Amino acid sequence: MLERFALGAQIAIHPVSLLMILLGVTWGIIGGALPGISGSIAMALLLPLTFGMNPAVALMMLAGVYIGAMYGGSITAILISTPGTPGAAATVIDGYALHKQGKSGKALGVSLITGTIGGIVSVFILVALAVPLSKIALAFGPPEYFALGIFGLALISSFVGRDLVKGAVSAVLGLIIATAGTDPFSGTPRFTFGTIDLLGGVEIVAGMIGLFAVSEIFERFAHGVDWERIRGKFTTDLPTFLELWRLRVATFIGIVMGTIEGLLPGGGGAIAAFISYNEAKRWSKHPEEFGHGSLEGIAAPETANNVVTGTAMIPLLTFGIPGSNGAAIMLAAMLLHGIRPGPQLFERTPEIVYGLFVGMLIANVMMLVLGYLALRPSIAIVNVRPPLLYAGIMALVLVGAYAISNRMFEVWVVLITGLIGFGMRRYGFNILAMVLGLVLGFIVEANLRRSLLISLGNPWVFFTRPISAALLVFALLTLVWPIVRQARDDRRARAVVAPSPSP
Amino acid sequence: MKRADLAIGLGLLVLSAVYFQQSFRIIRGFASDRLGPAFFPRLLALTLAALALTLIVRAVSGRSDPSRPPAVRLGVFAGLVAVLVIYAFLLPRIGFVLTTPVLVAGAIWLLGLRQWGYLVGTAVGVTAVLYLVFARTLHVLLPMGPLK
Repeated sequence: MLERFALGAQIAIHPVSLLMILLGVTWGIIGGALPGISGSIAMALLLPLTFGMNPAVALMMLAGVYIGAMYGGSITAILISTPGTPGAAATVIDGYALHKQGKSGKALGVSLITGTIGGIVSVFILVALAVPLSKIALAFGPPEYFALGIFGLALISSFVGRDLVKGAVSAVLGLIIATAGTDPFSGTPRFTFGTIDLLGGVEIVAGMIGLFAVSEIFERFAHGVDWERIRGKFTTDLPTFLELWRLRVATFIGIVMGTIEGLLPGGGGAIAAFISYNEAKRWSKHPEEFGHGSLEGIAAPETANNVVTGTAMIPLLTFGIPGSNGAAIMLAAMLLHGIRPGPQLFERTPEIVYGLFVGMLIANVMMLVLGYLALRPSIAIVNVRPPLLYAGIMALVLVGAYAISNRMFEVWVVLITGLIGFGMRRYGFNILAMVLGLVLGFIVEANLRRSLLISLGNPWVFFTRPISAALLVFALLTLVWPIVRQARDDRRARAVVAPSPSP
Repeated sequence: MKRADLAIGLGLLVLSAVYFQQSFRIIRGFASDRLGPAFFPRLLALTLAALALTLIVRAVSGRSDPSRPPAVRLGVFAGLVAVLVIYAFLLPRIGFVLTTPVLVAGAIWLLGLRQWGYLVGTAVGVTAVLYLVFARTLHVLLPMGPLK
């Protein structure tokens, strides 16, 4: 394992890699600070620029964006009470309270330090869990991969968003889009409507940029883009060691919650941040300070959302199932470079996996330095008039889409999926489920057909193998549980509304 | 969202039917497995139809989420879609350099900022930066139209 780290470090400390990580983290902090541009959108916008890069470097850069955005989100959360990313929503409560008391620098400093601690710890958790898990995944055959794909889709459909049916519709639509193009098994074209453009299928990167980024831009145009400007000068005021020691419980809670959320699908750090905030308040010696400018109230959520940057990579790298928007973008970048995540990734191209591990450590250290130095430029960019920013981002998206394969087809894909995503957000559908369907379509279909080929058409092959049977049962439970819960809630609601039977 | 859910459910039902029907147009290759390239799509079409029916039944029986989506600034939104479609139509015909400034200026105008200095400055600036990054640094062959 040590020589693998050495191999990864060799790539990660190459000057070009360091420069790209630096650019990634800087863009992450700026994008994260901008309201409406979350970490995953900032990553999606950068995707077209990573084509020509070495895949290991591209992944390090994107991870850098993810990491930087977590700190960036807290800048606007603290200074204008508008979370730059969903993960920073809990930071607003005490961050803005501290800002009003004139302690903005202290709030930013605590966010930066605890975030860096969380980020670095999460890389160690990532290594500790991902490497052994990838060994388990080595035993997977086609039935297991099929079952895993179904399990992932079921989890995302049912736990992300509130509506199971709409989540499942989203996932199935994603799978349907993925069937367009050339059949992975027989090489026959299907659903191409006679065009050559669709022979290669819908480019996943374009679909993702549309669903994640363009839909958000449409939303901004539809509902208005303005946010408050940041007034005054600020510096990051790092906490003393004693102050940091007082935050140890809150930071620890953030690490635990961030680890759990990273392993489970969805959220992208927002849920872990809120749970950590509440738990930190419960365990605090000064719970009365929460809501009125408690430093613990910043440490807990900011640790949690930074921990998610590392732990969200665990299901992605070991099984190829992304649990968050950010991880989904990382997966798109891998597919773009012809890499399939999963156990083979660890065996065949250890330099990519271990390069990413080392690169993420470097990105966290860079965030610490840049968070200190890049605060003023970030504020300057947040203060650019929002219409100018959004118009510029719109143009960047379209030119980036064109650059995917030097043709107009992807520009149209981005626009159409952007409109679809806009409608889905509006009517409570689940964008991540659709993206996952789009990404897993190939894996699910190919392994379904491969399994049935091996078993000579006998569908019991999925249930006679223990891992695949267990995964499918879990998938079923995930889908049934919300229905059971709904029925129970309905019964309770009815019991409250109509206590006595009418004659 | 009752009405919307009903409409979406019906739309999805139609979509699943069309998709199912289209699966019969796939030509089965020689090298195919016994299930063939149309099996998985048909499975998906049936799943989608079942889910669409669930949405419809839920909407009709009044069990949809009662909340309404927020109002949209329809003029701005329609304007943006129009600008984007025109851009995508003209880009391959008259090129990146002539269309992009118009797209940027149009988007800023739609978002309500109407000072000429900002409009022109940003339109030219964004186009120049994108040109330098994509055409010069990443060597993307952007469509140049008559300015080739």
